[in-house]
Amino acid sequence: MENKHMMAFEFIRGFVAIFIAILVAFIFIFISADDPGKALNCLLIKPIISNGALNIKSIMTILGRTTPIIFTGLAVCVMFSADQFNLGAEGVTMLGGFIGALIGIYVPMAAGIHSVVAVLIAAVVGGLVMIVPALAKVKLKASEMVISLMMNYVILYLVLHFLNNVFADRSKGATQTFPFEATAKIGTVVQGTELTYGFFIALIATVIVAIFMYRTRWGYAIRMIGINEAFSKYSGIKVGAIIVASQIIGGVLAGAGGAIEVLGRDISFRWLDLPGYGWTGVTVAILAKNNPIMVPLAALFIAYLNRGCELMSIYAGVPAEMLDIIQAVIFLFFAAEQFLAKYRQKLVVKDAKEEISMKGEKA
Amino acid sequence: MLNQLMNMIFTTSFGYAIIRITSPILFAALAAVVAEKAGVTNIGLEGTMMFSSLFGVLFAYWTNNWLVGVLAAMVVGILIALVMGIFALKLKTNIILAGTAINIAGSGGTIFLLYLFTGLRGNTANLTTPQMLTPKINIPIIKDIPVIGAIFSGHSILTYVSFILVIVVWILLYKTALGLRIRAVGENTNAADSVGVSVLKTQYIALMISGALSGIGGAYMSMYYSQSWNTGIVAGRGFIALAARAMGQGEPVGAMLASLLFGFASALGNKMEGLQGFSSYLVGAIPYAVTIIGLSIYAVTQLKKSRKKS
Repeated sequence: MENKHMMAFEFIRGFVAIFIAILVAFIFIFISADDPGKALNCLLIKPIISNGALNIKSIMTILGRTTPIIFTGLAVCVMFSADQFNLGAEGVTMLGGFIGALIGIYVPMAAGIHSVVAVLIAAVVGGLVMIVPALAKVKLKASEMVISLMMNYVILYLVLHFLNNVFADRSKGATQTFPFEATAKIGTVVQGTELTYGFFIALIATVIVAIFMYRTRWGYAIRMIGINEAFSKYSGIKVGAIIVASQIIGGVLAGAGGAIEVLGRDISFRWLDLPGYGWTGVTVAILAKNNPIMVPLAALFIAYLNRGCELMSIYAGVPAEMLDIIQAVIFLFFAAEQFLAKYRQKLVVKDAKEEISMKGEKA
Repeated sequence: MLNQLMNMIFTTSFGYAIIRITSPILFAALAAVVAEKAGVTNIGLEGTMMFSSLFGVLFAYWTNNWLVGVLAAMVVGILIALVMGIFALKLKTNIILAGTAINIAGSGGTIFLLYLFTGLRGNTANLTTPQMLTPKINIPIIKDIPVIGAIFSGHSILTYVSFILVIVVWILLYKTALGLRIRAVGENTNAADSVGVSVLKTQYIALMISGALSGIGGAYMSMYYSQSWNTGIVAGRGFIALAARAMGQGEPVGAMLASLLFGFASALGNKMEGLQGFSSYLVGAIPYAVTIIGLSIYAVTQLKKSRKKS
């Protein structure tokens, strides 16, 4: 049913889901804000327009904030496409950031290649780590979901151990590493915003992943396994290898994203908790319906809300954590296959009738 | 060093600590067992515990009564399970995604709701009164037995509830009509349907029981273990419970043993922290690493078993 009605239906469905989420946000804002009008203005308009003019700085910041969640979003896309519920992007992002930072500090290299090497090594480490849940799934039939969840915490504590006991810069008040070499920094596009060149790397990664998923044999195999694993097996796809590969790719993307985020946004490594990008990545992948090319758009939407909630907490006193509730509501409705199913049924019937009447006219 | 460690393990306070740490995981692990028996993977335990631990404290504060708090935590757990049920069972959201959404909402949403209801940011330490905390119970006779008394007596009332619930859940699953229906639905949906078991209704009920159990687990955290609510209060226990269920072969008693293993690893970690030369962070990773290794070993044994059969 590749037709206008169905396309319109998917569009409307997404719109209604977002509408419901915004409605929920409205209700919370009216309860909690002293000045609801101001809070709403902060949430919806202020991120891009302030004092009647486009707020370029804020827009750049929003774009910058999409960078890490584009990477985790892509990682989750690839893994979920193969029906692998690996939730380790959260931990691997942190590990990638840490590894990237260490290379940036302790392995001097020429400008230009330093940051590239740091990101690549972080990506490789990320891929290697994801082999654990992948092999556990394929070889032992253990749940990749549970193993990857446990792995997040193992990574968290390992990173904290090395950060605190080995690599800490004791001259600083807060726990952090020494600053990276200037050669390892990923530059900021416009000073004073959060937009780094990492954003463009994220877009390039999106195109590569999209081509991989839709124009290569491996990508095809990943999607086929997600649709029907048994069928894939009988049609000669090496299911085990592809399942492992999909999770390694997820790890590579998350690891690279972590390094790019840390080397771009900070001057030293200072994450003391799991960054949360892995979970946001799941939301992004759901909004993008596991389609890589839609990931930047979904990430933009979340980053916009993120910025809006931030402004709301600064200017209207509504805690920024409201974002998590909005995110969860959108997430739930987007992932609900039967949401508005009756309406879809009507559209299908309408389509069928039109088709029949057209055939009648031809005859 | 090993000697030092041994001296620490063979103390009554160590045994006491294991039980104290095991209990909240046990609640959540039992919750995972019941849901999974009905064929529903409840990955939303983490978020459910976040919400119920918060509302447990809040209701206990508003009424100055711990029992009301525990009941409220249960009700909140059930309500969240219902939300998951509506999305997963009625609107056909993938159950793992529905649970993930609950977890996302739980991580930040609780901070927001706390602010909404009390104006507090991030923790409820200032609200705590002794009446809000679940009482400790000294078991008559047992409390006077040397060693055993010090290990098994003097825990929170909820601690005893968690271990009693192991038996209750076992009876529920294996000795009641509802339990039979839950297992039937989980093992073969179509077969259960064909003999007239309402699959949806059974799965809803299992999810709600799961929500109630994890709800008490949340109350345990905020109204006994931490004595107040804070943003990192659940700290992955909902996820560990999923692992405990898997390691415990999906059975109540197995889940209890797996939870005890985790409790042991965690208590050991806490003890080692005090020793010279041990990194508290490395020790923090032990329980999770033990879980991964335990799961893998269990998976290997299962695999060997199934190979022998075929």
